[in-house]
Amino acid sequence: MSAPLERVQADFAAALTESSAAAALLPALVRDDARVLDRLALYRGNVSAAWEKALANAYPVVRALVGAEFFGGLARAYGRAHPSISGDLNRFGARFGQFIDAFEHTRSLPYLGDVAALEWSVHAAHYAADAVALTRERIGALPPGELLTARFALHPACAWLRSRFPVASIWLAHQPQATVGLPESLDRSEVALVVRPRWRVEVLVSSAGELAALARLREGADIEDAITAGLRAQPEFAFPKALVRWVDCAVLVEPRPEAAY
Amino acid sequence: MKSVIDQASHDDRANSLGGAGIGLRAPHYRELLARERCADWLEAHSENYFGDGGYDLHVLTRLRERYPVSLHGVGLALGSAAGYSSGHLRRLAALIRRIEPSLVSEHLCWGAVDGRVLNDLLPLPMTREALELMCGRVAEMQDVLQRRVLIENVSSYVRFAGDEYEEAGFLNELARRSGCGILLDVNNLYVNQLNHGSDAAAQIDAIVPQHVGEIHLAGHLVTELAVIDHHGARVAEAVWALYERAVAHCGCVPTLLEWDTDVPELDVLIDEAATARRRSAARRNCDVRAA
Repeated sequence: MSAPLERVQADFAAALTESSAAAALLPALVRDDARVLDRLALYRGNVSAAWEKALANAYPVVRALVGAEFFGGLARAYGRAHPSISGDLNRFGARFGQFIDAFEHTRSLPYLGDVAALEWSVHAAHYAADAVALTRERIGALPPGELLTARFALHPACAWLRSRFPVASIWLAHQPQATVGLPESLDRSEVALVVRPRWRVEVLVSSAGELAALARLREGADIEDAITAGLRAQPEFAFPKALVRWVDCAVLVEPRPEAAY
Repeated sequence: MKSVIDQASHDDRANSLGGAGIGLRAPHYRELLARERCADWLEAHSENYFGDGGYDLHVLTRLRERYPVSLHGVGLALGSAAGYSSGHLRRLAALIRRIEPSLVSEHLCWGAVDGRVLNDLLPLPMTREALELMCGRVAEMQDVLQRRVLIENVSSYVRFAGDEYEEAGFLNELARRSGCGILLDVNNLYVNQLNHGSDAAAQIDAIVPQHVGEIHLAGHLVTELAVIDHHGARVAEAVWALYERAVAHCGCVPTLLEWDTDVPELDVLIDEAATARRRSAARRNCDVRAA
């Protein structure tokens, strides 16, 4: 009578995590080939490769910053610390930024964790629900005075990140068609805004005022309230300019639940 | 009165999928959207379209307007004794409602323990215990999805000492008891023949033809240690020969060309699909319509 299936699978999983655990699985396997341990190592390699590929897909800028080889080691360390919990590999890596922040071998790159957090927002934005964005015509058609009392929702893909480091600039400098180089000083704070006009996710350098205004809109406040919040956070906050950018970048949508579909 | 198996077989043949399909991969999105229809059907990996929205789902929705689509899952890990994710199955159900695929398939494999997922198609022991488990899981899956699914045989690097069935026998029993169909991966049978000395031709001959709802073909990589089912090359001649044998045995089953590693130009996949159509027509009087 062979071992129960649950036991065999637990032993198999342990063998794929630590090579030293492989011996416990051997009685369950056909061992006519002396290389059965090497064959198990193929599975171990497959699992790490799948996780590394998933992380490389979600974190291309982190990978570019540390190099492919170091990234491979980082991916393996992350997989051990935070094993996958979903059969959907697009969900693997949600805590990579926090992991990097606490990882001793990346301490010389103090901005790396925030770059990772921004990339996860970009990744999530790629898969966020579709929504019909407000057009300039829609805003322009509002009767005078009604703009200030209007309430809009934010696009499901819209997200932001405040960082002690210029993370939006770092991200922008690593895009395939980058027109800007890496920021000269990495020792300054920045606010990154994630948007998805049409299908491609973009990152914008934002400001304290813009973020305060967007945060109020997300809470359901009207435009006037959002402007007040923006000005309080940043006296030079220019609402008309921000509104044009929000409309161009599909940040605002109609505040109806159906708008998400 | 018709038996359940007769009805199942009738359903397979009336399926809107026919001929040779190709796997839908992101590098080909633009070209597929821009070109006239160039394949009989497309197969998408379900999990790549589990988002609430976004570009991937947009592309699949657009292509669905022009192509029959099969949804092929790689993440449910149905044979995991510790359980599988009902959330994953719900997301699949939502995608099915949206895409209305012609076929839905998953693998004869496991991949998770205690909430820890290994994200690989790991082999099951071919035992009565595993068969019981799979029959229950497939029945649940079909119950939730309210449709018949196909289950695919996988390749493996190791075999279990306690095996009580050959792969074909296991698949036949699974199909008979759960009512699912079989997605016969001919390349996987061949890879297992090279890795374990099993007889791929004998496995094909032993499959109950009426259960087979789809055939998969792909390239493999021969290494010194093992043959790896990497889906990164053209179909090997020995696999084409087994494919002809499978078509002679099962009839003109919808056939998919898979390519996942070093994805080539779209035309290479189209060319492989044309070869599948030609080689199946040589063995059976299949409907060889132009793509």
